[in-house]
Amino acid sequence: MPSPTSTSLLRKLILSALVAITLISCEKEVVVDLPMTEAKLVVEGTIEKGLPPIVLLTRTQSYFAPTDLNSIASIFVNGAQITVNDGTSTVTLQEIGFTGLTQEQLAQAAELTGIDPALLQNITVYSLLDGSMIGESGRTYTLNVQGDGRSCSAVTTIPNVVPWDSTWWRLAEQNADDDSSGYIWGRLSDPDTMGNGYRHYARRIYSADPDFIEDTRFISPLGTTFDDKYLNGLTVDLFAVRGRSPFTDNSNDETAGYFLRGDSVIMKLVSMGQREANFYTTYDNNVASAGDLFSTPANARGNITGGLGIWAGWAAYYDTLVCE
Amino acid sequence: MRFVLIVFFAITLGATSYAQDRFTVSGYVTDSSSGEALIGASVFIREIGKGVPTNTYGFYSVTLPGGTYTFVTRYIGFQDAERTVQLTADTKLNLDLKPTVVQIKAVEVVKEKRKSNTESTDMGRIDVDVQKLNTLPALLGEVDILKVIQFLPGVKSNGEGNSGFYVRGGGPDQNLILLDEATVYNASHLFGFFSVFNADAVKNLELIKGGMPANYGGRTSSVLDITMKEGNDQGLHGQGGIGLISSRLTLEGPLIKDRSSFVVSGRRTYVDVITKPFLKNNANFGGTNYYFYDLNAKANYRISDKDRLYLSGYFGRDVFDLGSSDPGDPQFRIPWGNATVAGRWNHVFGPKLFMNTTATFSDYQFEFNGGQSDFAFKLFSGIKDYGLKVDLSQYPSVRHSLKYGGQYIFHKYTPSTVSVESGDTQFNIDEPSKLLAHEVAVYALDEFDVSDRIRLNGGLRLTMFAQVGPFKEYVLDAQGEPTGELITYGGGKAVKSYAGLEPRLSMRYRLDEMSSLKASVNRNLQYVHLASFSSIALPTDVWVPTGKNVKPQVGIQYAAGYFHDFKERAYEGSVEVYYKDMQNLIEYKEGAQPQDNGNTNYDANLVFGNGYSYGAELFLKKRTGRLNGWVGYTWSKTMRKFPDLNQGREFPSRWDRRHDLSVVAAYELNKRWSFGATFTYQTGQAVTLPVNRYWIEGRLVSEFTERNGYRMAPYHRLDLAATLINKDMKKVVNKTTGEVTQVPRKYRSSWTFSIYNAYNRANPYFIYFDNTGNLATGDLQVVAKQVSLFSVLPSITWNIKF
Repeated sequence: MPSPTSTSLLRKLILSALVAITLISCEKEVVVDLPMTEAKLVVEGTIEKGLPPIVLLTRTQSYFAPTDLNSIASIFVNGAQITVNDGTSTVTLQEIGFTGLTQEQLAQAAELTGIDPALLQNITVYSLLDGSMIGESGRTYTLNVQGDGRSCSAVTTIPNVVPWDSTWWRLAEQNADDDSSGYIWGRLSDPDTMGNGYRHYARRIYSADPDFIEDTRFISPLGTTFDDKYLNGLTVDLFAVRGRSPFTDNSNDETAGYFLRGDSVIMKLVSMGQREANFYTTYDNNVASAGDLFSTPANARGNITGGLGIWAGWAAYYDTLVCE
Repeated sequence: MRFVLIVFFAITLGATSYAQDRFTVSGYVTDSSSGEALIGASVFIREIGKGVPTNTYGFYSVTLPGGTYTFVTRYIGFQDAERTVQLTADTKLNLDLKPTVVQIKAVEVVKEKRKSNTESTDMGRIDVDVQKLNTLPALLGEVDILKVIQFLPGVKSNGEGNSGFYVRGGGPDQNLILLDEATVYNASHLFGFFSVFNADAVKNLELIKGGMPANYGGRTSSVLDITMKEGNDQGLHGQGGIGLISSRLTLEGPLIKDRSSFVVSGRRTYVDVITKPFLKNNANFGGTNYYFYDLNAKANYRISDKDRLYLSGYFGRDVFDLGSSDPGDPQFRIPWGNATVAGRWNHVFGPKLFMNTTATFSDYQFEFNGGQSDFAFKLFSGIKDYGLKVDLSQYPSVRHSLKYGGQYIFHKYTPSTVSVESGDTQFNIDEPSKLLAHEVAVYALDEFDVSDRIRLNGGLRLTMFAQVGPFKEYVLDAQGEPTGELITYGGGKAVKSYAGLEPRLSMRYRLDEMSSLKASVNRNLQYVHLASFSSIALPTDVWVPTGKNVKPQVGIQYAAGYFHDFKERAYEGSVEVYYKDMQNLIEYKEGAQPQDNGNTNYDANLVFGNGYSYGAELFLKKRTGRLNGWVGYTWSKTMRKFPDLNQGREFPSRWDRRHDLSVVAAYELNKRWSFGATFTYQTGQAVTLPVNRYWIEGRLVSEFTERNGYRMAPYHRLDLAATLINKDMKKVVNKTTGEVTQVPRKYRSSWTFSIYNAYNRANPYFIYFDNTGNLATGDLQVVAKQVSLFSVLPSITWNIKF
């Protein structure tokens, strides 16, 4: 699943090699004077098969704005009018706040929304609590957003679930004396129709590692979104490294990237349309490389008319794997 | 083509038949010490006050009424040769020039082809005598001919230490780089830090950055015509050097004395050998290895005074392995390189007609192999050219100099070819069609003196390009996605063809003995494009031919200038202004990745647009004396406009630099010590930086608004060099008599001490935005970081000649 051409990796390697070859290079922090532009609406919305729609509505901020949790929370747009139409009926999403919840309740809400508890308690999300709209495969959902004095819209369709044929864990083949660090693998049989997109998520729920921190959400390591352009109708074995949650203090995570023998992992394979997969691919590239010479800087290409971000219809397959 | 040639012959024969009482003097000008032809030597006829230059093969021809004439032959670094000729019949006059000095000497580094800056119709045409470059400072002591070119006005480098060059706002693909007349597609090693041209193997280099004459074509910006050494036909000689990162050795000598000679030259870097022991146990770079090498070889054979044969070749490769010592981590292997072969036949039909026939082969290949665990990824691209060219030079009278000829090239492009494997499963990626194409050109030009004041160089080039089958084209839907249908073209069947006329005109108007005005207008067509994913010359750049959707690039350039020589031509100066219009340029779509090229048309990820550039160039050069060199300054603006990029708004090109100043100086203190210094200042490079940010899945996403909308800090740098040459004589004590005598040494060696970036400027190489810390712990920081490559960098190189 990792794309070996991942630009950030290539950048680091090329740069490292240049340093190794020339033995000279230096890096310094500089002040960059960027122009101010008007904020745009950013949609991070999904409607997963069997779940209600969930929308996080934020706005863009200037690149060097403060980065503490409170400032991040301040980019969430309150009081927006968000509707979803499934072809037969239209529902208005409720704005849901999480302030005042106990840690346990927060964890449950995080479980439901897929959002980290640390962030969740400071923000609001738009969803439905009454079950009046639940995602169904084959259905097309139209999103309309009015907020911050702006509006934007998007359309997505939920595809069918594509399961892992099988999943397993395998040692990472490095030092012979390490019989613990490995990667997770899955066998995928792509349906014989073009246009299937996939994004891999995993969540480690148990580890024998004493420093283990449970993942509070499903994490998709960069570079694990793909479509079937090159594997239509094929059965392929794919592997993934362990991703890191941006909301977890993982500075002491010495086994970063690896799943260890004895870990329990929930693997989530999300099927989506090609356009949605294209967003996540370009998003991954964007996150990995921020303005350098080794790649042409490019925006993440979403499907939101009048805004940024993604409105994605998902069909997810869950599989719990014990790494043995 | 044959028809056109016959017409040319008919015209020119007719034009020359009237000259009954006129006779032609012709011959070759050579270096008496080595037998090497001297390119661009001036053969001056004192009685008429006119001169002619020798061509690339050292040949000249001049037609005069009967009488007695004094021929003065001049070439920088050589003694003038004077010969009196009683002209009563066509005469063959070969001229040998003796070098003025035996030792390596810091004479002029760059000189005009002709004696006078103000005489010719040439605009923006510069010759570099490569053997004289040793005294200038060089990055890590590696003398690089392309980096010297970058100090000329109108020529820009592509950032720190880069040998890529850009002429008057044109892209790197718009430079025609010829090595002994064979095209070199990627002239750089190590991501552009070193050029592929080993200075020891190169004799001469000519850059034409404007007013391209009709005998050159296929590119819209410039011609860099590099001539390899022929080899000394008098005796076995060699030269070599040991530097910090590479060593080189060149051997040359006669195969048959006075008739045939050879030269072979090799260079290899050894950073890998030095750093390997240190890297071996380094977890991050244990699998990292890099080297490049070059081989040049050339032989010539003088069959008779009328016929000469040359065979030359170049082969070079870069091999780059990347990875850690942990086999679980991704490993990469990236080899790339060029090969060229050129076989040439010079034939003198008569005293007034010189022909050169060239058969060339060029090959450029790039491969990228990546893998991790059972996952393997391979990317391959390449280009092969088979060419045949006939060039005729005719000298009907002293006022006219004609050139005409034709060229045919068969191109075979391999567009980006991707293959991916995961375990035993091979991904479904079609092998893309090779792109085959025929390119044909015919041309004629005449450089003639309309009057004493006015000289014109008018030419016309007719070019044709046809992409032919076998070829399979994917049928795309409105969104640009393949529908699954294919259109198949049979072998040899035309897929798409183009033809066009390329008029070229330049003129000189002499104001007085020392000054002239010049103007030129050119239309050039280019049937190949370079598609680049990054803004540095990475070998992942792919050559894309003209085809169904990709139209030929069109470059139209208008230039005018004032040229002035003063202080007895010890100084020369010029002011040139230009405007260049560029059409049908290509770029990749925003966000395109190399792996997107599979299972669709080779041009599906491209977008098309136009560009323009204008500017003014000032140049002041001191040609002679112990201190010589030049100052060049360019003011220019280069913009691009693509409907599908930057929301259709105009944006600065990567090579847009408003100000560009260069100073090059060489100083000869005495016979043993000489010094060199170079300084450059350029407006900061235009780069694309994100303006806003947003968050998806808790990760920071950058929003880019203006392409190349931000300027990095200006680039400036001073380099210094000192060269110490060993004594040319040594003492020999006669053992029997005890007498001490001075005898010349069998070899000459020199040390070059070089300091790159003398005042340690941290020049920006690129800026990236980094976030460190963590949202959860509240110490997340978003910062801009500027990466600089080379701080002050001393080096030492030992050179030897024998």
